[in-house]
Amino acid sequence: MNSFWGKMLYVDLTRQHIETRAIPNEWVELYAGQKGLGTRILMEDFSATTDPLSPENRLVLSTAIMAGTIVSSSSKLAIVSKSPQTGTISDGSVGGHIGAELKYAGYDAVLITGKADTLSYLYVDPEKAEIRPITELQGVGAFQSEDRLKQVIGDEQVKILTIGPAGENLVPFSCICSEKYRQLGRGGIGAVMGSKNLKAVCVRGWLDVAVPDIEECMQAVADIHKKDEVTSPNNEIYTDGTPVLVDFSQYSGLLPTRNFQEGQFEGYEKINSPAFKEIRRNKKACFSCAIACGNYVKTETAAVEGPEYETIALGGSCIGNADRDKLVEFNALCDDLGLDTISAGGILAYMMEMTEKGLHDFDIRFGETDKALTLLEDIAHRRGPGKEAASGAKGLSEKYGGVDFAMQVKGMELPAYDPRGSWAMGLSYVTAPRGGCHMSAFPIEAEAWGDLDPFTFEGKAQLVMELQNAQFAKFSIGVCDFWPIDSHTLARLFELTYGGKWTAAQMDRIGERIFNLQRMFNVMAGFSRREDKLPARLHKEFLKTGPPKGISMPQAAFEKALAEYYALRGWDTRGRPTVEKLEELDIEEMFIEDYKKELNHAG
Amino acid sequence: MPLQFRRSRCTGCKLCQLACSATHEQVFNPDKSRIKIDHVYREDGIHIGSKHCTFCKECEAVCPEGAISNNEKWMLVDWDKCVGCGTCVEKCPTKIIYLNPDNKSVICDLCGGSPRCVEWCPKDAVSLFKKKMEAAR
Repeated sequence: MNSFWGKMLYVDLTRQHIETRAIPNEWVELYAGQKGLGTRILMEDFSATTDPLSPENRLVLSTAIMAGTIVSSSSKLAIVSKSPQTGTISDGSVGGHIGAELKYAGYDAVLITGKADTLSYLYVDPEKAEIRPITELQGVGAFQSEDRLKQVIGDEQVKILTIGPAGENLVPFSCICSEKYRQLGRGGIGAVMGSKNLKAVCVRGWLDVAVPDIEECMQAVADIHKKDEVTSPNNEIYTDGTPVLVDFSQYSGLLPTRNFQEGQFEGYEKINSPAFKEIRRNKKACFSCAIACGNYVKTETAAVEGPEYETIALGGSCIGNADRDKLVEFNALCDDLGLDTISAGGILAYMMEMTEKGLHDFDIRFGETDKALTLLEDIAHRRGPGKEAASGAKGLSEKYGGVDFAMQVKGMELPAYDPRGSWAMGLSYVTAPRGGCHMSAFPIEAEAWGDLDPFTFEGKAQLVMELQNAQFAKFSIGVCDFWPIDSHTLARLFELTYGGKWTAAQMDRIGERIFNLQRMFNVMAGFSRREDKLPARLHKEFLKTGPPKGISMPQAAFEKALAEYYALRGWDTRGRPTVEKLEELDIEEMFIEDYKKELNHAG
Repeated sequence: MPLQFRRSRCTGCKLCQLACSATHEQVFNPDKSRIKIDHVYREDGIHIGSKHCTFCKECEAVCPEGAISNNEKWMLVDWDKCVGCGTCVEKCPTKIIYLNPDNKSVICDLCGGSPRCVEWCPKDAVSLFKKKMEAAR
């Protein structure tokens, strides 16, 4: 009985074979849980050059060691895979209850490989694990699929991950949906499920989760919750949730507007937090979360838990949409079809600008939200104009032009922060292992929303590196992003739930180790400095309003900061971790040997 | 003096259930809690189901062994007398009573007066219901 079972489920869909495999304690000591443990499991005997949509690709579901305990915000489930959108390693996490449920089912992780003959789902509980056919759900949306699976299984408490038609049709920005509105949004991992003919993963658990000293744990965790204000009724993530960021971004001039042509949106007050509070019905938390970020909203035509800030910006200002209720529709439609709202909005914005500039007629312009909603359905079903749009902003721009304003990094459309308003965010975008993503580090809090000058790269390489290491530790010990936690507290939580003695320095080291391991994966997959670049618009064009007005972010300064970042990381000038650095980080020898071969091969 | 549950405040985090199972069973397991709250999205929206002891004393009335009593504040189960027949489980109107692995009836005892679920609820959705009439007496 423990918080760490030391067990994963190994599922081969091709052979229809399931077995239980051990997870060594050493992996936890080196990589903790969730993101880090998932990365480690993915990379065991796995080639980084694997085709992401081939049966050989893997989906690794990984829980935090403390999932299922009383620690707030600790039950997100990470899924690690190779991304069909970027070709990089890709991991994301989904909230709701499924992370804890998997722990209660007796597993820390699940590794899924192969491809089923027919559309299937995986069912897991403490007594059985089975691959079952579910062909009736072919082409069915995520919402209805979840309801139907609960009926078929005969248990409303079962927790479910499912894909919509987008994932089945291998759209490279397909998400994975859980409990209707919780999404593992980025990197197209839904398409990996689709490529395996895996419609859903259904989990039910009822086993005990124990910790070394439960009385001490309860007391200490209660104190920590209080100290970090996760239980505070005034926490803005509770009172407002992420829509509170609309105003922040607007005032800082970094709210992506009409495909990043501007950083302020005239209609922002129609889609900010007060606007969404008008239609809010409930606050909703993930398992064990004292904060409760979720906003369940309902209009006459649609309901959704959301929209989150990213969705508001990409499906709102970035496509010239100031209609709150249509944003709810946009969000619900993406969730049901199984599309990442960020990439979907980014692609639409690119197509709109191309049309307006007369470069290519995609028959859609800024503000034409109804057309956008129809196009989303076409994308998910890969029909008509949606067929091409499914290739993403990068793919479209390579064919039709407008590369400078295809707002993506490594093929992943940018999230909702224009880095011209907070320069370190640009460094964060290009160095994030999974492409244009805001989760590897969020320096905006220190820059545009903090005390540091947002319009200089001075000191920013160091800042981004430190934030990334901290984030990677946090997401591997397994605390949600919405809890701003320091490394000391993280170490204490790990002691209370896993046991042993842990220090803040060890936490940072775990973060740095995992960050480097993911970078190694990408290098072995063929990535180097040439992919670590921003869309040219961000260097060539000025924003015309707000604090960044008239300030350019010169490419030369950016390149210099990137070189500084590589040096601080202990990477070579091409952005490859040096063997010395990897040895210093105690990265396991087998990886270093493989990596040496790759370096020799790449020259 | 039963628990009071305010649906509009509940976010479905289950910290109450974790606090309960940790206190009484020394493990984290929402299925072993004496209070159970479920949030489920159905086709027409969010549904919140709650089960907790309402101090209706039906279990005491139906127990064939006389194992269940109350101290006018919470229920008491005498495990020496309980034979695990399951009558209380069956007759409990809110279906919150269960038998533990030792086949003994598990009923909320308000943690002896200061319930941990109340203490741990971050949104004040669970509280102790103090009847005004009783308070005035």
